[in-house]
Amino acid sequence: MSDTAASFAPVAAPTGEPIRLAMQRLWLTGRVLPAGARLTVQHVFRSGEDKPLEVIYSFPLPRDAALRAFRITGEAFEAHSELRRTEEAVKTYEQGIADGSLSTLARQYGDGVVNLTVGNIRPNETVTVYLEVLAGVELRDDGFRFRFPFTLAPAYHPRMKAAVVAEGEGEMELPPSEFGDMILPRFREDAASLHEVGFDLSILHQLPIEEIGSPSHAIRVRQDRVALATEKDVPNRDLVLDVRFKETAVQVFAGASGEGKRAFAAVVPSTRFGVNTEAARRTVIVLDRSGSMEGAPIAQARKAIEACLAALSESDSFGLVAFDNQVESMSAGLLPGSRENREKARAFLSQVDARGGTELARGFLEAARMLAGGGDVLILTDGEVSGTEQILAQARNAKIRISCLGIGSASQDRFLALLARETAGVSRFVTARERVDLAAVDLFASIGRPVASGLKASANVQPEPQSVVFAGTPVLLFGETEADPGAVELTWDGGRLNLPLPSGDGETGHTLRLLQGSRLITDWESRYPSEEALAPLEKRKQSRVGAKLLALSQAYGLASREMSLVAVVKRAGDRAGELPETRVVPVGMPQDVKFGAYFGAPAGGAPMAACMMPAMAPPTSAPMARKAFGMLSRVRASEDKDAALSVDPLMDLASELEPDGGMPGDSDSVRAARSVAAVLALVAAGHTLTGGAFRSHVARLVKFLKLAGGVSAGERALIGRAIEAASSGAAPRGDWLALARAPGATWPRIESTWRAGFNPRGA
Amino acid sequence: MNEYLTLAEVAEAAGVPARTIRFYIARGLLDGPIKAGRGAAYTANHLARLERIKSLQSEGRTLSEIGRILGGVEAEQAAAAPTAWWQHAVADDVVVWTRADMSPWRTRQVRAAIGELARFLGKERKE
Repeated sequence: MSDTAASFAPVAAPTGEPIRLAMQRLWLTGRVLPAGARLTVQHVFRSGEDKPLEVIYSFPLPRDAALRAFRITGEAFEAHSELRRTEEAVKTYEQGIADGSLSTLARQYGDGVVNLTVGNIRPNETVTVYLEVLAGVELRDDGFRFRFPFTLAPAYHPRMKAAVVAEGEGEMELPPSEFGDMILPRFREDAASLHEVGFDLSILHQLPIEEIGSPSHAIRVRQDRVALATEKDVPNRDLVLDVRFKETAVQVFAGASGEGKRAFAAVVPSTRFGVNTEAARRTVIVLDRSGSMEGAPIAQARKAIEACLAALSESDSFGLVAFDNQVESMSAGLLPGSRENREKARAFLSQVDARGGTELARGFLEAARMLAGGGDVLILTDGEVSGTEQILAQARNAKIRISCLGIGSASQDRFLALLARETAGVSRFVTARERVDLAAVDLFASIGRPVASGLKASANVQPEPQSVVFAGTPVLLFGETEADPGAVELTWDGGRLNLPLPSGDGETGHTLRLLQGSRLITDWESRYPSEEALAPLEKRKQSRVGAKLLALSQAYGLASREMSLVAVVKRAGDRAGELPETRVVPVGMPQDVKFGAYFGAPAGGAPMAACMMPAMAPPTSAPMARKAFGMLSRVRASEDKDAALSVDPLMDLASELEPDGGMPGDSDSVRAARSVAAVLALVAAGHTLTGGAFRSHVARLVKFLKLAGGVSAGERALIGRAIEAASSGAAPRGDWLALARAPGATWPRIESTWRAGFNPRGA
Repeated sequence: MNEYLTLAEVAEAAGVPARTIRFYIARGLLDGPIKAGRGAAYTANHLARLERIKSLQSEGRTLSEIGRILGGVEAEQAAAAPTAWWQHAVADDVVVWTRADMSPWRTRQVRAAIGELARFLGKERKE
């Protein structure tokens, strides 16, 4: 593990000389709202060369993000970017380089990758670029998760090329026909000697905050500000911040956005709609078995799927698909959620191991075929794929609803959020060090049965909201209005909600308008296939998506693939025609992905430690290294594996539910007794009828208990109290888990345990 | 036509963006301009080299492989990790290792030398 807070200057291992980093620092500041974030990313570049330097820093955009502007400063100068058509911006940049002037270009490519290029940094000069970025957040009913990429995950593409270019340093190339002249960073196995990263953010909120946490970084929280707790960190994983509110309520933000208009954003929790129906569910779970899922993620995912399936009843039907570069399904079509079929699923899952590439589209297309038009898909994946616009197009054409559980320390958040949204599903993203299984069960509880459908918003809302709402995920609305005070109106099948707009301030209004723009641009970017986006200007003028993006960029003042940001600083002493030395800023391999998996085994000092051919190997066979690159078997770091692999006992309990919703047992009496204990075990762990990852399991147990036969009046009373506990969330103390799992659990034991733990939890 | 081209002209003619050309020069895949300063100039040789790089790329070669094939990246080659090795058993008690990613001409040369070594050691043993 690399030192996350090295306090010394990096030195080159062989020579002990300080390493001259072209980019020395990346620091994130800004304001984060439940509706999105307005960020300023500081990049400090320095030339330690005796000739001018051109530095290329490549980074992925967060979800729903767009670049707004940059400011470049140095000794005795400051300049601001201009937003121009991409061709023009590139031309301006190149002219600036030819004139010997300091030139900067921020250009977006496919998959939301940006190249920030700063050319003609003079010898020993320090130049700072402050880049303004608008970004979305992952909303939950009780808060939100904010993610910002400090590195870029190597991602699978069928035509990618990977090579080791130096010890512990790998390089990836993507086909220029699809990605143009985009340059990817080099991936450094050890991020300790790279630029320092950090953050200092403020949280803007209306609801009182219960907790701010981070599964990725050590943080320091002071009131509404959250900063890196250590002096600095290394670029080998995303920043992930979780903000949880004390209550679940509607939040409406608004403010003047210019020209007599007011911009607004509303976050409406799913609890404001209805409860989900009991309609039969048709679901296909699609499991990514690509090499990068190896270890804890796939083990957790297997367990999670078993628990998910236990929430199904016999009237529900399901399918199971596993994919890497090939697709395998458990059955040709959907199967009823019977005990027998769940056993079949367990057997199928037990032989699913992580291995090849990530052909995501093939996985969900197989699911679409099985669903034949009706139902939901849940994908468990790390989403490490390139060429996402193409995949998104296939997903839209498949006309299925896809929900995604993303797993990983470096973000494919933008893509998976789009995949879910563009198909009217929901998405969640967890880091590889969090509980994948709990997140999967939680997500599975929401999908399939919307809490509202036919959702429509008043005309001032754009983009239009998804027509369905799922439990746990709020509805986010953006809009602009000329009315004062104005309101947003939401209607859905059987419901209506009117949200008056607060007055708010101009800064908030301006930010909200930009967030709306970046959301719209991201949506349209996802519909812009690379070959269309890379076509010559004349041809692109015919493109409907290209025209829309251009119009959005102009209207909101935000960059897209059609418009880029450029600045040229003319200074005394500019030397025309001098060729700068071009450098690409390396990034760290994401924390949970092993370097050797993408780039072959890192070589040791002695040649003999390198990949060896077997003795007497015929010199005509292919070198091993090439084969290793082709296989793309990415191996996850083993550290923390044991901790991550420990499976929640509740997960085992949840997997035991019978298709009728009750626990198994020899008699009706034992089944009812065990089911009461199971409800109380789940309630004691914070899961109720409406909250917690196992809420659908609680609901199924309660439904079973309501209909349970063969019980006495006393036992019926205990059942009533257990059902009450499922609503109130208060359970008596006791080892309910052990009782629920004991094959011989009897009513007298349930009753005595209840009496012993009579004081309700928290009383 | 002028015998010398500007970077913009080379970029236009080769269909390779100027930034990419500078990137190639920095990596040693392509020589710098033959004249520095205001009148920085490129020639038909640069164009030909760019065409060669493009065609090697379309064959599936990585830039580092292309660098080695074109033989202009001593620095990078030296720094690169030895990725794969051939093992040649030249006698019962002698094994020779060679890098698998040598350029083709060098491979021929080394193989000939190994052949000679094997013959020599075989003869020695018989004597």
